[in-house]
Amino acid sequence: MSLTQVHDVFAAIHEDGLDDLLRRFFGARPKYLNYGSPGFVAGTTVNATQMPAIQFPGVPGGIDWAVLIERPRVDAHPQTVGLPPELDPLGPQRVSIQTAVQICVSCTTRERDEQPDPDHPDDPTHGDHRRDDPDRPVGKDLRPVCFKVEVFAIAHAERTSSPSGDALRLVVDAIELVDLEPNELESVVECLLLQILRAVLASVRLPLTALRAGAFELVPTAGPLVQDDQIEMFGTV
Amino acid sequence: MDITAAIDEPAADDLLDTAIGLVTIPPASGSGALGPFVASYGASASLSPGDVDLIAPATIRIDDFRLDWNLSFSFGIDLSTFLPDFCLPRVCVNIPCVGRVCTPRVCIDWPTVSVPVSFSDFVKVTADFGISITESGGVWKVEAVVQGVPNLQFGATTAALLAAISLAVTPILLAIPFAGPFLAVAVNAILVAIGIAGITGFLGPILSPFVSGLRIPIYEQAKNFEAIPASGPTDPAVFVTIDDVRADITSTDEDELVLAIDIS
Repeated sequence: MSLTQVHDVFAAIHEDGLDDLLRRFFGARPKYLNYGSPGFVAGTTVNATQMPAIQFPGVPGGIDWAVLIERPRVDAHPQTVGLPPELDPLGPQRVSIQTAVQICVSCTTRERDEQPDPDHPDDPTHGDHRRDDPDRPVGKDLRPVCFKVEVFAIAHAERTSSPSGDALRLVVDAIELVDLEPNELESVVECLLLQILRAVLASVRLPLTALRAGAFELVPTAGPLVQDDQIEMFGTV
Repeated sequence: MDITAAIDEPAADDLLDTAIGLVTIPPASGSGALGPFVASYGASASLSPGDVDLIAPATIRIDDFRLDWNLSFSFGIDLSTFLPDFCLPRVCVNIPCVGRVCTPRVCIDWPTVSVPVSFSDFVKVTADFGISITESGGVWKVEAVVQGVPNLQFGATTAALLAAISLAVTPILLAIPFAGPFLAVAVNAILVAIGIAGITGFLGPILSPFVSGLRIPIYEQAKNFEAIPASGPTDPAVFVTIDDVRADITSTDEDELVLAIDIS
């Protein structure tokens, strides 16, 4: 059977190539893997994405947090990487994603640190007003508490658009955490990480021209198909 | 390989049609033998697409692509080679009171004339191309490179070019005093001297190099390939390294041109 089948053009990227491309993507733009509130991330740069702290009544400035995601590695159907029983076996037209996520929150004792001096409520030299100071040094008063969890996810490939034209992205369908108990906690963290990982990978749009290293023009007519350890596209010139 | 890209024969035909149309052929000039004459010439050419036939494992045959060419040349003709010696005889007359007066015998020295000719035509070529893969100066290139020197069949072109030479020579000879009566003889003698063989022998070395060095681009990318362009100050361009490129023709239920690319 020909590669192009009934189409004019065929392009495929092997899971190893996709891994290389993702490594280069996240290497050039680590901000897609590192997120944090101002206490952890001073501002959005190429290295990290700043997001608001978690607002909660009685917590001035909010609760600082950070999420650090390890570079995801992919395995396209048919399965070659072991998966947790809940996700095993890898179904057709699916890729598995393996990563690890570290979640941190700051355990600053705000009651002590941030309450203004009752006798001098408007005097910035009394009490601790640093949380309201945008120039306060990042991490100076953080007391990060973190945990790291290994994550497996199942995703499918989807065609989308990008500033560079037609593109592909991976859409996460399900995730499974390893060694997290009790089950209710695992469900909560899974729900959280499913949304995070889905959002992160949805923002990674890989132009079709990158997936074929610039070879030949391809106007998509079919695909993406996940098979033979690769993601395949078909099209016309 | 990390990336595989393939096109079928109709798509390869489209690709190479476009690529051939973009090939720029540098003009040529020089001198060559036109029968017994030496002609200096300037020539230019362009290409038009043909029909692509992919032949496994590594041949791209292009049938009937056109080489449109334009040739300007000039050559010198020593007319004394082609025209008979011609002299005005001595004439004497008796003039009363003066006596006998004679004119001198005057012989014509036929000059050497330069004949400029401009001629355009095309020739259809069928050629086999191999696949060349190079990495030089940080750029990967895959090109179809013509194999050997294709045989150019000029056919009716030779007769047409002889006619063009005839048309160019005629007004030049008419402008030469006393040549008029010998015009037909002279033109015919010149054309016979050049002959079909002279035309073919003249055109072949001029036009063949336009085709024999032909390289048609198929793929060209920087080794440091920009996979994703920059899209903002915190979204710099993403580059991958193209480590290896292979290209071949595969034949299953369809003939295809396949590129296999390794990246890191």
